[in-house]
Amino acid sequence: MKRHLLANTLVALALVALVGWLSTTVFAMLGTQTDWTKAWEYRETLWRGWLVTLGISIAAFCGSIVFGLLFMLGQRSPLVVVRWTCRAFLEFVRDTPLLVHLLFGYFVIFAPLISRPLGEQGWDDKLLIGILLLSVFEGAYLGEILRGGVDSIPRTQWESARAVGFSKLQIYRYVIFPQALRRVLPAMAGLFVSLIKDSSLLNVIGVAEYFYNTKNFISRSYAGLEGYVPLALGYLVLTLPVAWLSHWLEKRFRHET
Amino acid sequence: MKLEATSLVKTYGKTRALDGLSLVVRDSRVLVFIGPSGGGKSTLLRVLGGLETADQGNVVVNGETLTADPAGLQAYRRKNGFLFQQFNLFPHLTALRNIALPLEKVHGHSPADARGMAEQALDRFGLIDHGHKLPAQLSGGQQQRVGIARAVARKPEVLFLDEPTSALDPEMTAEVLELIQELAEDGQDIILSTHEMGFAKAVADQVAFVAAGRIEESAAPAGLFGDPQSPVCQRFLSKVMRY
Ligand SMILES: Nc1ncnc2c1ncn2[C@@H]1O[C@H](COP(=O)(O)OP(=O)(O)OP(=O)(O)O)[C@@H](O)[C@H]1O
Ligand SMILES: [Mg+2]
Repeated sequence: MKRHLLANTLVALALVALVGWLSTTVFAMLGTQTDWTKAWEYRETLWRGWLVTLGISIAAFCGSIVFGLLFMLGQRSPLVVVRWTCRAFLEFVRDTPLLVHLLFGYFVIFAPLISRPLGEQGWDDKLLIGILLLSVFEGAYLGEILRGGVDSIPRTQWESARAVGFSKLQIYRYVIFPQALRRVLPAMAGLFVSLIKDSSLLNVIGVAEYFYNTKNFISRSYAGLEGYVPLALGYLVLTLPVAWLSHWLEKRFRHET
Repeated sequence: MKLEATSLVKTYGKTRALDGLSLVVRDSRVLVFIGPSGGGKSTLLRVLGGLETADQGNVVVNGETLTADPAGLQAYRRKNGFLFQQFNLFPHLTALRNIALPLEKVHGHSPADARGMAEQALDRFGLIDHGHKLPAQLSGGQQQRVGIARAVARKPEVLFLDEPTSALDPEMTAEVLELIQELAEDGQDIILSTHEMGFAKAVADQVAFVAAGRIEESAAPAGLFGDPQSPVCQRFLSKVMRY
């Protein structure tokens, strides 16, 4: 214990020294130019962007649950054709970058198809299509997580559920999902964290979310630190609570079973 | 109960779990299947209980012919009770919820009624103090008793029990067997499989010896245990009765 205490102290001191040295050097270089009032001037755009990111995250999370469930059920379908199509599609989605989906999906598929009618209805087509594409992408991963969770429930549970007279839907609803969900919730929360971060990629199709607005602010006002620090903090404010929630859920359900 | 199974065949890959099995039971309260491991007892129970359909042959239970149609089978399962060897209960629900949930969702009782019935079922088997516990917090014997309580809470026509005690130690075995005997004495129709020969002798009206996917012999317990006719059954009984 004693030796560890000494080692811990030494490592901690070394780390503090390193970080201190790094920040003083960086700040010394930027010191004269850093002007936090710039960020304050742009607070409204930044705030709007942050809200859009929050909205995208929540909407895409709901969307990804819908797609995830569909992909999971598709892979368990009694029809071979459905199973194979589903597998192939998931494989394709998970083995190509989200950036490609967004560019290809928006500019090649959806924009020519539905941008005009959406625009005429007064909708923001970029935002909606972006959310849809993000939902499909994260849904592909969620489908895999859910499938793993459902597969991990022993066969005897399906049998017992059938034996007490539950219908197929009731078996999923009352027996399989509640148990599977406990096992996959931490992984789902982890996926939600990725989703929030991935939403920043929507800037490539011109969605005015947090990253897009911050980037514009930085290039317009030649900002440095005063742009990047709020950028990082803005995402942390969203992701940290979800990460904490994930750890908390993990602990709670571990005690329960 | 009345039961008639004719030329049942059930194959799993190359294994013929049921190989042209026929059985007629005219009027019996407790029907017991005994026989060597892998002989097909569980498969037969699952077919009779409507959890599985035979590839060939047909089954008539109390005048009702079992169909292969899923909805019909589900309706059939709903009026019967089934208990497996182990892991019967839903681990995420308390003992009370395990019993109440099917009453509520399958049999359409109101939540309050379902709860009342579940409490009654637990009380009947001396488990009322354990109602709030999760299955993992119960002993193996208590779990099986809750499983039986769940199966009988909705007053099943026939109660199917597949080796209800094979995962239990002797003391817990006794407590579960006692409970089954009580149910039989109260008039519950039961079909069960077991390796407990003494229990089979005591509780059965009719015993059927299942081996290699067929019924080798079927008689009242006194006859089957006292004077087995087929050589396979004689060999089996002399082996299991030796110790
Ligand atoms: N789901 C299944 N898949 C493949 N084979 C199976 C399956 N269920 C049963 N069998 C096979 O069918 C045969 C009969 O099995 P069954 O479980 O009915 O025997 P049993 O008499 O209940 O045996 P035990 O006393 O050990 O429980 C065995 O050879 C078994 O391996
Ligand atoms: Mg068996």
